[in-house]
Amino acid sequence: MELLIVLAVPLVFSLLGVISNSHKAQAKIIFLAYLLNVIFSISLAYRFLVSQQPLSLLHIFYADSLSIFFVFTISVVSFAAAIYSKGYIEHELAAKLIAPKTTKYYYLLFNLFVFSMLLTVMVNNLGLMWVAIELTTLVSAFLVGFHNSRNSVEAAWKYLIICSVGIVLALLGTIIFSYAFFLSSGVKSLNWTELFIVAKNLNPDLVRIAFIFIIVGYGTKAGLAPMHTWLPDAHSQALSPVSALLSGVLLKTSIYAILRYSVITNLCLGSAFSSHLFVFFGVLSLAVSAGLVLVQKDIKRLLAYSSIEHIGIIMLGFGLGGIMGTYGALLHIFNHAVTKSLLFFGAGNLVNAYGSNKIRSIRGALKVLPFTGFMVLIGIFALSGFPPFAMFFSELMILAAAFSQGNYLLGGFILLVLSLVFSAVLYQFGKMLFGEKPDHQPAVKEPFSIYLAFLFLLALILVGWSGLVNSLVQSVLITLKGL
Amino acid sequence: MEFFLILGLLASAFGLVSAKRLSVLIGNFSLQSLLLAILTFVEAVNLGQLGLCIIALLVLALKVVIIPKILSNITKEIKVNDNLEFYLNPQLSLLMALLLTYLCWTFASVIFVESDAVAKMCGAVSFSMIALGMFLMIFRVKALAQIIGLLAMENGVFLLAALVLNGMPFLVEMAIFFDVFVGVVILGVFVYRINRLFVGIDVSKLNRLRG
Repeated sequence: MELLIVLAVPLVFSLLGVISNSHKAQAKIIFLAYLLNVIFSISLAYRFLVSQQPLSLLHIFYADSLSIFFVFTISVVSFAAAIYSKGYIEHELAAKLIAPKTTKYYYLLFNLFVFSMLLTVMVNNLGLMWVAIELTTLVSAFLVGFHNSRNSVEAAWKYLIICSVGIVLALLGTIIFSYAFFLSSGVKSLNWTELFIVAKNLNPDLVRIAFIFIIVGYGTKAGLAPMHTWLPDAHSQALSPVSALLSGVLLKTSIYAILRYSVITNLCLGSAFSSHLFVFFGVLSLAVSAGLVLVQKDIKRLLAYSSIEHIGIIMLGFGLGGIMGTYGALLHIFNHAVTKSLLFFGAGNLVNAYGSNKIRSIRGALKVLPFTGFMVLIGIFALSGFPPFAMFFSELMILAAAFSQGNYLLGGFILLVLSLVFSAVLYQFGKMLFGEKPDHQPAVKEPFSIYLAFLFLLALILVGWSGLVNSLVQSVLITLKGL
Repeated sequence: MEFFLILGLLASAFGLVSAKRLSVLIGNFSLQSLLLAILTFVEAVNLGQLGLCIIALLVLALKVVIIPKILSNITKEIKVNDNLEFYLNPQLSLLMALLLTYLCWTFASVIFVESDAVAKMCGAVSFSMIALGMFLMIFRVKALAQIIGLLAMENGVFLLAALVLNGMPFLVEMAIFFDVFVGVVILGVFVYRINRLFVGIDVSKLNRLRG
């Protein structure tokens, strides 16, 4: 039942939001909607942890531990983005960047976007999962191009075209998987649960080729190098709450899709095949991001490249495998989602206050925006994997997985990239946070809703390795092992 | 019968690559979809499947009539120059297309080792359609050509699903149609926006975001 409620909340409230024309009312409605969503997804998670039984409804919806872990992550980040949207949109309205009439479309698209992401992780049928992922692209393209300026339309076009090509390849992979299933069982079906049962009898050659299409196709949407080219454009041009959703959870839903298929592939072929592919794309993503983070001139592009880096780390974690690697990668999914959202919110405030997203125009942010500046500073250290923040633990686990398997080369490479990116990010953000503020720049006070969004995420960044998240990750480990 | 229709599909994919004008491109796409609809219908009658029949009719309505109509309306409304501009001229494109088709043929005969001749042929043609659609997207300058390339790729995947797999589950198929249709409408909206902001729909002008 909670399954349906979690799905229905964004859908129903998206319609409610359109009724009212005042931004205040819309913001209240969306706050209420996502508060409900978080509460229900937490109760869903607890109920699941008690029973440890996958929930299934009408053969269409299906939620096992993997789904519920992602549902929880999506709900939490969208709740934060919903709170943050209020202050952000108010500023955009005041600065006349968007027209008052369009705010309801913003909330409508926001809700549909979250709905399509939740749908992705809750359907059993792999064809419908494909449809839901394509839907995320179509809906969020409008959010990327919301400003209707040259830059944002260019970003939205590239996003649509590149991701659509990727997704067609993923559909091809889906069909080849289904064909393999048809050959071994004589029945047509795309249900994951049915594929899972016969996974060992599938034709290995077909599975191998299909999985390559899947990882290239969905990998495009996940931002894996070398298919990442849409990502910096879209992340930098989208409205900041949407950038947080894109980077924090949209990329992860594609990783979810890849993981679903990897369970079947591993049962059929053994884990070596998917591991090698994961490590290959992970290393490539790390290399690309490490090179490009250093030379960025735009604050949101900088964060976008850091997202590619973290997606690479997550892929390496899954590629190294074992309990340590997988555990670390799953934890990293959650930690990156909350930390990167916080930083995108911070970047949004900085861009709004200085009226520019050029790194060189932003100076002395700690004096202009003391609260945001301080939060961004914490976010930078959390993102770079400093203790006591949760990301420290997940990165440590992935590194430990590399070293304990005797893979010193890979471990050393990860350390090298981490330190390179850390120094680049600290250097760039150091310039923005410290130093003298420009003379004409007035100090700005953030609205209450923005305080709330930051503090909510900060709490999660600090405790992201314990409690509910930890128990969820432990039960996902069992699912991923194919037991 | 099926054999000729499948060959016709391959020919129409070559037609897309060699087209020099936008109107021809849209016409060729419409023709390709028509062949696909007939092929699906024949398959549906052979198997006696009602679901596949409905899907064939949907292809006819959506991809033969409605989507080409939307696309040609866009070209009329924004008065786009009918000349397709190329990064690679049609002659060289055809040569590349031949090469790609050969590669796809080899690839398909590796994958469909155990299948019958029609399935093998079908696989080869469908991979070629996907490859040629992607080729079109990369080597043509106009934004509308990219939309058609994408749709041609989708046609290739559809062929594989319809003939090798006898169609996907009905619900999924419908959902995919919905997605494709919404996708074309949204891409169309962005074509209008590009035309207004960049004066023309050459994607080569979309070069402001770099690095």
